[in-house]
Amino acid sequence: MVQLTRRHLLTAFGAAAVTTVAGCGDGEESTEGLDGKRAGAMDGFKAGDQFKATEPITFSIMMLSNQGYPYKADWPFFAELTKRTNVTLESTAVPGSDYNQKRSVMVSAGDAPMIIPKTYHPDEEAFIASGAVIPVSDYIDLMPHYKEKVARWNLQPNLDGFKAQDGKYYLLPGLHENTWQDYSLGVRTDVMEKLGLSQPQTWDDLTTVLREMKKAHPDLYPLSDRWSTPPQPGANNLLNILATSYGTHAGWGYRPAHWDAAAGKFVFSGAMDEYRQILQYLNTLVTEKLIDPESFTQTDDIARQKFANGKSFVISANAQTLVNELRKDIAKIPGAKVSKLILPTGPAGATLPGESRLENGIMISKKALESKNFVAMMQFIDWLWYSDGGLMFSKWGIEGQTYSGKVDDGSFTLDPGVKWGGLNPDAPKDLQVDYGFFNGVFAYGGSTAMLNSQFSEEEKTFQAEMNKREIRPVDPPAPLNDVEREQVTLWASALKDHVNQQTLRFILGQRPLSEWDAYVKELEGKNSTQYMDIQNKAYERYKKEHG
Amino acid sequence: MVRPTRGYRVFQVVNGFVLAGVVVVTLFPFVNIVARSFSGEHEIRSGQVTLWPKGFNLTTYQNVMSDPLFWINYRNTVVYTVVATAISLVLTTCYAYVLSKHRLRGRALLVGVAVFTMFFNGGLIPNYVLVSSLELRNTLWAIVLPNAINVFNLLVMKAFFESLPTELEEAASVDGLGTYGILARIVLPLSKAVLATMLLFYAVQFWNSWFAGFLYMDRQELFPVTVYLRNLIAGATSGTDITASSETALQVAASIQAVTIVLTMLPIMLVYPFIQRYFVSGVMLGAVKG
Repeated sequence: MVQLTRRHLLTAFGAAAVTTVAGCGDGEESTEGLDGKRAGAMDGFKAGDQFKATEPITFSIMMLSNQGYPYKADWPFFAELTKRTNVTLESTAVPGSDYNQKRSVMVSAGDAPMIIPKTYHPDEEAFIASGAVIPVSDYIDLMPHYKEKVARWNLQPNLDGFKAQDGKYYLLPGLHENTWQDYSLGVRTDVMEKLGLSQPQTWDDLTTVLREMKKAHPDLYPLSDRWSTPPQPGANNLLNILATSYGTHAGWGYRPAHWDAAAGKFVFSGAMDEYRQILQYLNTLVTEKLIDPESFTQTDDIARQKFANGKSFVISANAQTLVNELRKDIAKIPGAKVSKLILPTGPAGATLPGESRLENGIMISKKALESKNFVAMMQFIDWLWYSDGGLMFSKWGIEGQTYSGKVDDGSFTLDPGVKWGGLNPDAPKDLQVDYGFFNGVFAYGGSTAMLNSQFSEEEKTFQAEMNKREIRPVDPPAPLNDVEREQVTLWASALKDHVNQQTLRFILGQRPLSEWDAYVKELEGKNSTQYMDIQNKAYERYKKEHG
Repeated sequence: MVRPTRGYRVFQVVNGFVLAGVVVVTLFPFVNIVARSFSGEHEIRSGQVTLWPKGFNLTTYQNVMSDPLFWINYRNTVVYTVVATAISLVLTTCYAYVLSKHRLRGRALLVGVAVFTMFFNGGLIPNYVLVSSLELRNTLWAIVLPNAINVFNLLVMKAFFESLPTELEEAASVDGLGTYGILARIVLPLSKAVLATMLLFYAVQFWNSWFAGFLYMDRQELFPVTVYLRNLIAGATSGTDITASSETALQVAASIQAVTIVLTMLPIMLVYPFIQRYFVSGVMLGAVKG
């Protein structure tokens, strides 16, 4: 009996091993020449051309289904797309809540659709080693619109940051002409007016505003923040925009390595003096009871409740939450008004980081490269995601039907029968739900004029102000190899945990900032120095190998 | 009649209070979500709704119920649950009955096979590849087959069958019943309690499950309603990412979430009262007897 059981175990292990091996993709090399892959492609496809496949073709695509506008196969978007390009999209619908997991399973199982959109750098790195996704940088010659925009908007340095150690990148990101700073703080302007306060220019001005609010309403915390979902330290937007103004990385935008241009090397963000200054700033707000200490732990719902009940006057916001959440929340407080604060400046001056000019993007599965329609597919992607015509189509739909006018001269208007965001709220049809346009899978990036077309007058004013800021240069590429990446990943999570924990303790005053040096020592004890050594070595190596 | 001692009566009172506390704690979320589902969005957002609806309205119900996708997914859940529960019940009963027979040769191996899967499995991707290469994806079978036998349920059932007196089966056998006759005409009628319990366990399990549907279904009209619900709730909170464009950071209205939760949990809650009387005798009772 015992033997039988053992034999059974062996069989089971064997079976499991076979299954696992079958699960790993075959390590075949991709062929370079594109002959035989041009079926349906256009000859001499160039920037400004409308792509139309020479024969009807079908591409498979992974389709994120947004909870706000669930995917529908019969959206006019798809029908019109086929009419214009001769391409039919065959969608694998994936609920947005767990998109990344399904993507990961499908790609790892070698079962992914040809086009895999909605991927945020550096998520694509996980799939490089297996060869499941192709180095798209090898094929950008097939994509005239993409190349033209990269050159015109000077995005090559940003793209360099996406490169793996082989000097290639594996993700086709969305391209923005300008940095789009959407997030800021929403402020009850009626309270400010009543107290005779003017718009704060710097973070120190903001402290003054909060102090005045506190003086007039001593029983409440003027600032009670949201977006504190773990595992980050909490108040992730507030920390992030502060880091933007101080020139480091914190909150949502936390990254271990910060490029110190003056020193010509990477330094550890969490140990920078700028980081300490942020903590100092927030600690002051906590000590003077200007910020609700619960800001760092409470749920969004609670934070919104406080704002809605007039128990706080300042909360993190972006253009959408301002209109769709905050304004609705305070609707029942007589005379209450809220608007987005022009992002206050700090020691980094009137600048913005340049990284956000690249959006989420598209991975191409290896299967696509084997298709005879590969060239046509790249041309199709180029047109739909990167040409002005394609972007206009995926964003606003069909001229004369869902919109009229042009975005470049500002004559653009949405058809009165169609609603989107805050526009035409009483229209019978919804641009996203009923038509399938302005879908996050297709419509992102583009020129500033294109972006402005979606803004209200109020938001345009905000953006005009933001666009005056100078864009800081992006970090130089310093791609790690697999061994290095594994090594730093081990260190990075321990370091991040410690930074997050101590960030919160310093801010809340549980640990005095006089212990900053001890804290930096603790980070060194967790290999922050070795981490940066590896990062800097990778930087030097890449510079030598790829210029 | 024996008079209860003073200590016992104190215990009864304390027990009553403790259990009443447990009932309150258990019921509160249900009552709260039902109250929310009938409330106005603003009232929920400003935290006024606890046990009673504020700003009473039925428009959210109308809105959710007018979404055809919700009903398609709802129907899927019903179909998946019914088929999967039926299959699971048959397979588990057969397997457990076989395992309960001590005279069966290779019984330890068969138990081993089942128990092995409790602790080890191929992992997510191999499972996906397997289901995929059997071409079960986008079919009902991808959901009902891979988890047809729950080993815990199997062992509970096996213990129950073992507790039945063997004399009964011997008598039936003497009277001329074969193996299947004994199972169908003697054992199963005596096992209503455990069958009802298994029915409930499986039905609840399949009703609540979302992962298999999410993983193996590529088209929206094939998803169970739990995936619909999850996208509505989890999708709304995980969208707050700095790189995500702000439209995805928007939360779905709290009232819509509440209505969907209520509609989804209602049918499965209604199953309990019908099966409850079998619970009174208790499934584990069989497990310890004999």
